[in-house]
Amino acid sequence: MIISNMDHKIDELQKAIDEWLSPDNYRLKDAIDKTVNEGLFSFEDIKYQILALKKTLKKGEFNRWAKYSGAGSAIGKQRLTVLSLHAGNLPLVGIQDILAVVLSNHHYLGKLSRKDPYLPETLLEILKKRGLIDGKWSVQLENLTGGKGRADALLFSGSTESVDPVIDALKQYNLADSTTPKLVRTAHYSIALIEDDRPLTFRQLADAVLRYGGSGCRSVAMVVAPFGLKNKKCEFTDYVEEFWLKNPQHKKPAPSLYHRYAYNSALGVEQSWLDDFMIEETDLQPAESFILHWIEGDRETLRELVQKYKHSLQTIYVTDPDSKLPDGLPAPEMLSDAQQPPIWWRPDGVDPLKWLGNLSSVHGK
Amino acid sequence: MAIDPRQLSRLIFDPSLTFLNKTRTLFEFQVGNNPVYRRFAKHYISTGKLPESVGEIPLLPIRAFKECDLITDGSVQELTFKSSGTGNMNRSRHHVADLEIYRQSIFREFSRHFNSTDYTLLCYAPGYSDNPDSSLLWMLQYLVDQDEQGLSRFLPLNQPLKQSDLDEAVQHDRQIILFGAAFGLLDLLDLDSHVLPDGSHIVETGGMKTHRREMSKSELRKRLSEGFDITQNHIHSEYGMCELMSQLYAIGGEWFDTPGWVHASVRDPDDPGRMLDPGVEGKVAIIDLANIYSCPFILTEDKGVMNEKGQLAILGRWHSAALRGCNFLIDRD
Repeated sequence: MIISNMDHKIDELQKAIDEWLSPDNYRLKDAIDKTVNEGLFSFEDIKYQILALKKTLKKGEFNRWAKYSGAGSAIGKQRLTVLSLHAGNLPLVGIQDILAVVLSNHHYLGKLSRKDPYLPETLLEILKKRGLIDGKWSVQLENLTGGKGRADALLFSGSTESVDPVIDALKQYNLADSTTPKLVRTAHYSIALIEDDRPLTFRQLADAVLRYGGSGCRSVAMVVAPFGLKNKKCEFTDYVEEFWLKNPQHKKPAPSLYHRYAYNSALGVEQSWLDDFMIEETDLQPAESFILHWIEGDRETLRELVQKYKHSLQTIYVTDPDSKLPDGLPAPEMLSDAQQPPIWWRPDGVDPLKWLGNLSSVHGK
Repeated sequence: MAIDPRQLSRLIFDPSLTFLNKTRTLFEFQVGNNPVYRRFAKHYISTGKLPESVGEIPLLPIRAFKECDLITDGSVQELTFKSSGTGNMNRSRHHVADLEIYRQSIFREFSRHFNSTDYTLLCYAPGYSDNPDSSLLWMLQYLVDQDEQGLSRFLPLNQPLKQSDLDEAVQHDRQIILFGAAFGLLDLLDLDSHVLPDGSHIVETGGMKTHRREMSKSELRKRLSEGFDITQNHIHSEYGMCELMSQLYAIGGEWFDTPGWVHASVRDPDDPGRMLDPGVEGKVAIIDLANIYSCPFILTEDKGVMNEKGQLAILGRWHSAALRGCNFLIDRD
């Protein structure tokens, strides 16, 4: 029996999270060991993510999320089957979608990533045991067929080009088709505005750029700074090395990164080669991994870049909480929060809990 | 010893020399005279060294034609071709220092497949004077001009192909080659065009910016074959671009052959130095020796695959699958 009262649900969710993140949770410890041993993620990256979740998965935050998304009013309406296709670029990256399904009271189908198969399962087992979620999950789509079967809605992140292949694969297993409502998050990088060269700023920037090898959509791929790369690259490199000493980069770039470096060098582009990462002073759209684009400019420069890349940009970060950005820009977040967002943050500007709640209302009519 | 550029234009078309020998000579010329390529290549091959194989040649990303002026020292452009595009779009610019090389490249490869004295060319495309930046239109104009009987010409746009357009060629006992961009030819069919006489050929020159939805090559070939009533063996493709002085033709199918002065390969997008085996998709790399004065060694952004015969198929544009950020892709076992 699934808990449907929101207050009760949040109380139980807090208990489930406490149990999951408890030092005595040997299932989680085993999952971490397996993940590290199989080379899927580094221990440092998993540890960071777990600590970030410990900080952010709190009852007050769940209440806040439920309140702002209006999830409470959706409970009790029709329960739908939500198929969540989890990415595997960071450890536990799909946790927000799982908890959105929990709080919206829907039935869960989870396609876990082969790149992160063990960690989410440890949470899902506890949620199920405590009556917070029902449904099934697997790394293989074929294992999701049968039972409640076909999905009423889809949650996933990907490029616009990936939507058709994903739908084709789901059609093959009769899990969904092109008419199934879907929330697809397409943004894949973030931008930071820094306005000083204090050590704290550079440390926060290094973390926001390099954490998880820069592979998160909240990772900073573009920075707007009042100084050019040439003047600050030695200084910033010190902070990069400091970061890597504590957090060795797990995934290494392909040789194509050096190809880009050679090309930039031919064109006289200011750049910095860091072996496992590269910084280049260009305002080109960040498409390749392991590159930070450095742009000398100010808030107006930021506005222009956000306008230019709004379809692929996730979040704007600033270091000054009182920053007054030009009109028309989305509300910025603090650079220090880049890699530890609150559970209620809105990927691509959409709250998945609110989206699922609205879906409930539509189907309930 | 300095290389005499005048000899290069003869050397590249000389069938008695191996491709590797010609390529090494051009590599040396480029490193000595093209500052952009010199700075690029030094990251892969030490100064003074020559590549041991064609696969070792460092390939310049094609976007260099958009982002800088590629022309060897001491060369003066006779003409600059530009890629299609409008307004503020960043267009490729190909400075051509010796149009005679382009003429030879066009004529030699076209003549390898079609005996120009037997054919009348009908080109369904804007005239060169309407778009003097276009290397394709320059090529078509040049081929039209080679017709000594003067029967080849550009067809009026937005009008169907009429019996009268075909009569003259038939009367002179010449076969017709209808040249046009893929979707332009489909437009011609939509205009209720007359079918082509027996023995005619169609050469489609690739995609065109259009409102039409993307169509597979085999579907395109089928529609052209049915619409113009000619066998699919007579439907050919041409692969060319403003950044290349040479063209590749796929005769009666979808596999492109290379002229003797061009080498095509498919590269690992993660490691452009690695040639992929036949059957494996990757980025198309073209070494076009006719690009003597710009840059002959190019990594395109096209997706392609080679077959066991060394022929190339073009599969569209390369879309980076390795986008940063959260990206769900259905895992492959």
